[in-house]
Amino acid sequence: MTRIALSLTINGQTHDVLAEPHRTLLDVLRTDLGLIGTKENCLEAECGVCTVLLEGAAVNACILLAAQCQGRAIVTIEGLAAPGQLHPLQRAFIDHGAVQCGYCIPGMILAAKAYLDTNPEPDGDGVREALAGNLCRCTGYQRIIDAVLSAARALRTSPPSQAAR
Amino acid sequence: MTFDYHEPTSVREAIELSARFGGDGRFLAGGTDLMVQIHRGRLNPRHVVSLQCVPGLDGIEVDGAVRLGARVTHRRLESAAALQGALRGLAEGAEVVGGHQVRNVATVGGNIVNASPAADVVVVLLALDATLTCLGPAGERTVALDGFATAPGVTGLRPNELLTRASFPRLAPRSATAFLKAGRRRAMEISITCVAARLTLDAGLERCQDVRIALGAVAPTAIRARAAERHLEARPLTDGLMRETGRIAAAECRPIGDVRASARYRALLVATLVPRALARCLERIKLGAP
Repeated sequence: MTRIALSLTINGQTHDVLAEPHRTLLDVLRTDLGLIGTKENCLEAECGVCTVLLEGAAVNACILLAAQCQGRAIVTIEGLAAPGQLHPLQRAFIDHGAVQCGYCIPGMILAAKAYLDTNPEPDGDGVREALAGNLCRCTGYQRIIDAVLSAARALRTSPPSQAAR
Repeated sequence: MTFDYHEPTSVREAIELSARFGGDGRFLAGGTDLMVQIHRGRLNPRHVVSLQCVPGLDGIEVDGAVRLGARVTHRRLESAAALQGALRGLAEGAEVVGGHQVRNVATVGGNIVNASPAADVVVVLLALDATLTCLGPAGERTVALDGFATAPGVTGLRPNELLTRASFPRLAPRSATAFLKAGRRRAMEISITCVAARLTLDAGLERCQDVRIALGAVAPTAIRARAAERHLEARPLTDGLMRETGRIAAAECRPIGDVRASARYRALLVATLVPRALARCLERIKLGAP
């Protein structure tokens, strides 16, 4: 199978990749670019661990072809905050003990980010609905919901610096 | 699983590619069905023709009729200002599909051609008397949505045809729509049963002037409950009449029992959800009436 040259814009950086046309964004992120913060699990858009932001919207990278992403801005968990810094969502997840095994968390945080970008003053039901596409088998979700609500408050009072996205 | 990827930039080019590849080609929109079927090994296309750079497929146009481009996402249906008010049922059908990640990419056209008997948006479009525009090498044709799906996963779409839009007439005055779905959880759930209704009242806001009742996941395809619709014609919409209508709808559906629910439970849900959907329409018409 012929590989095609892809130019992908991930976390503000352009990456040139040679990949077979059937390969998913998830596969290219993890295998070719070493961006393993985006997790792999169901491969059927059910569990949400592969969530990334595509032009600011939460999508499942497991059913998205890398070839479909040319010319479109992608943000992964690695690009949420500047190196060495935490986004207010990441800070809140730590502060609330919202992380147990951690496998679902990158997807949770990015789904929450997309939601808070358009709903800066959410309630608990809104957050639950926004995270319905992200499964967690450890936490029972309550601390995750608490963390997102807390991050929303933090973001309203002090938005992240320009360096963080 | 391996295929070539194509990104046509016009409808004509998309059709030409599809005609060239014949049975080896598949159109790709949101990928929420196609990519899953490919991963499962149930589909193995040698050519995938992406529609993402084809212009003219993602509009929501409202003039004499409402036209939804095939690539309009569920997310856009939820949030489109043109689909609030009397057409709220369409947003209600869209907002219960999958999670945000799925709704951000899953399209109206995909929901129709995938032909799941439980396709929520299709049930609402049935209640709206939607017609479909299909474009193929031989030209464009318009077909009714009712009858387009003939079995689970099977439609009347001809080889190499592309569904380009779904259209339906604007609602008459004194009309409303509603959609209700039963599942075991409130999100990320395939409908056990879903019901859509479109109701138009007479000038006295008392009798049914026109009605459509559509049912999902209780037959091999989404269906209209025609006997139930006839039962309401020109009669005053009392609670008792709406309950009777629900029982008639339950008697005319053909549910199966499966992992999600028994056939009997599905029929009971129809009997319950139909009068609720009608009552919701009635309430909406009265709230919107001058």
